[in-house]
Amino acid sequence: MYGYQNKVLRVDLSKKTAAAEPLRMDWAEKYIGSKGLAIKYLYEELKPGIDPLSPENKLILMTGPMTGTTVPCSGKLGVAGKSPATGTICDCSIGGHAALRIKYAGYDAVIIEGALDKPGYLLIEDDKISFEDASELWGKGCHETEAILADKYGHEYSVLTIGPAGENLCGMACITSDYYRQAGRGGMGAVMGSKNLKAVVVKGTGGVKIPNVEEAVKRILEIQNEDVLQEDNTFVFDWGTTAFLEACQDGGILPYKNFSDTTDPNWTEYNGEVFMEKLEGKRGCGSCGLGCGNFLKIGDAICEGPEYETIAAYGPNAGNRDPEAILKANQVADDMGLDTISSGDVLAWAMEMTEKGIHDFGIRFGEMDTYIKYLEMIAKGEGIGKELAMGVKKLAGKYGGKDFAMEVKGLEYPQYEPRGSWGMSLAYAVSDRGACHMRAYAPNEEVFAASIPPYTPEGKGEMVYKLAQHNAVKFCLCICDFWGTISMETMAELMSLVTGKEWTVEEIADVGTRVINIARAFNQREGFTAKDDTAPKRIFKEALKNGPAAGQKIPEEAFEDMKQQYYKVLGWDENGLLPDSLIATL
Amino acid sequence: MKIKILLRGALTKYFNGEKERIVEVPDGCTAEEALKLSGIDWTKIDNFGFVAVNGMRVMITEKLKDGDELKAYSKISGG
Repeated sequence: MYGYQNKVLRVDLSKKTAAAEPLRMDWAEKYIGSKGLAIKYLYEELKPGIDPLSPENKLILMTGPMTGTTVPCSGKLGVAGKSPATGTICDCSIGGHAALRIKYAGYDAVIIEGALDKPGYLLIEDDKISFEDASELWGKGCHETEAILADKYGHEYSVLTIGPAGENLCGMACITSDYYRQAGRGGMGAVMGSKNLKAVVVKGTGGVKIPNVEEAVKRILEIQNEDVLQEDNTFVFDWGTTAFLEACQDGGILPYKNFSDTTDPNWTEYNGEVFMEKLEGKRGCGSCGLGCGNFLKIGDAICEGPEYETIAAYGPNAGNRDPEAILKANQVADDMGLDTISSGDVLAWAMEMTEKGIHDFGIRFGEMDTYIKYLEMIAKGEGIGKELAMGVKKLAGKYGGKDFAMEVKGLEYPQYEPRGSWGMSLAYAVSDRGACHMRAYAPNEEVFAASIPPYTPEGKGEMVYKLAQHNAVKFCLCICDFWGTISMETMAELMSLVTGKEWTVEEIADVGTRVINIARAFNQREGFTAKDDTAPKRIFKEALKNGPAAGQKIPEEAFEDMKQQYYKVLGWDENGLLPDSLIATL
Repeated sequence: MKIKILLRGALTKYFNGEKERIVEVPDGCTAEEALKLSGIDWTKIDNFGFVAVNGMRVMITEKLKDGDELKAYSKISGG
């Protein structure tokens, strides 16, 4: 098929060998690329029950057939492995330019196995692969590491690196590229750290073949102009995700002080306008048509961002209204290679634990100087940071406070309050990597479009399934989340243009369902069942006090009802398990 | 009565790029009626999102009071 390089680079760090092998096209036809194809490889190649931080785990960098073509917003790279935070499958989608360079180097994917005996980095220059010493980079932040490697190799190279968080095997560790883009969730940085792999540096000088080039490029340009560059998407150029803050506040889903409530009467102190007044520069990822990246400077703090998630996590959910503190905390977390969502929830939980007198973690809501210090300590595994690096699930197991430990399967909650969007509690619960908002973004239907009533279980199984199916296809195609208007029809058309094989909407939708199923099958093999599809007790027991969702809590029976709806629509049993007949189709 | 209408996202084109206007509307009118009187018929706008009154998401049939701030959002997506 066109669009693919038909080649995988398999790297064994233990033996320091690297060899190209054919891409499993039979798998690519069923899973396309990125998320789906990476999970398929891991499902087939990882032994059940392995320690995610052992050399037996694999880290897969997976592109898709559109990577490196003129298809807009297709520059995302899939990063996947078994998660040390959750023990589930985990795939992330990282922006920047690394995906394009891996593809131009001639590979659809890089599969990294084993572990180096001492810190090193992998250098890929087309078909020339080498293992370089990283002893002088070890201990350095992501930004300095990338700057050193950029100085050494030049800006035609992409760098994927970890910071101290990854080196110290923190379950909140990211992989970073282009300084401020992250494979953020589930501790993929720790997987890299466990392999003593500080960075992957890649340059590619090739191209990607698609059929009927002139005709295809013309049509792709039309799609860019008519679909991507419409006002429903271009808001991200003007605002980035800061635009979500006001909508979440008015919609009643902006969390406040560790999800103890929602909405903040003083939210205008850190809204999108406040941040965007400090804009210093813009940028986008490779092949991007939208350019959501905003470089801001406030006081001494300078950072690309903050994204909505970080504003909410380091702002109201931490009891903080100081935009400079939010930006500074963002800068530190990015440099340390720390997921801002998980670190934000851990610190918010620690603040609540301290204020309730359950355990004194030495930090209370709004104490941002301590907060920023703790972020660095978490990443470096120093002092109290070593404890906090355990993540909120393990911490609550040790110290109590389980009812307000905002996590599912050990992955901390993103910053959308589910009592204001009941479908979100289901999306978090059944997501393949623990609590994740990227798998099925329920507020789109329940809050921002108001097409489905938010405070009812009715129809939520089908709704979350459809959203998850759509996003699964999107991630397999490496399409950015911010091409929000892309339809299944457009995705099928783009696949046909790029691969030369006709794809129908039904076929492409089936890929989405298959991806949901194989991710679930991976987790099922690891022992996960319906009992792990949970929600924090807080959302069942405590009604929200303020905002449009005031008075709302989710009855446990409604939550269970939503879960059973979801299982049923996917053909799973009441225990959330795939029958053997379904597994056989994967 | 006088109310303030604020538009967000793609809806600002209905006010020629302005984000807000103070408008005079009949006493007791609904959010839907107030928007329609200002040239915004949500039933004909595919990307119409939701409305909020005084910072709280409400149904579009919500009745307004003098001095209310009615905000209308276009759909947003992402995450």
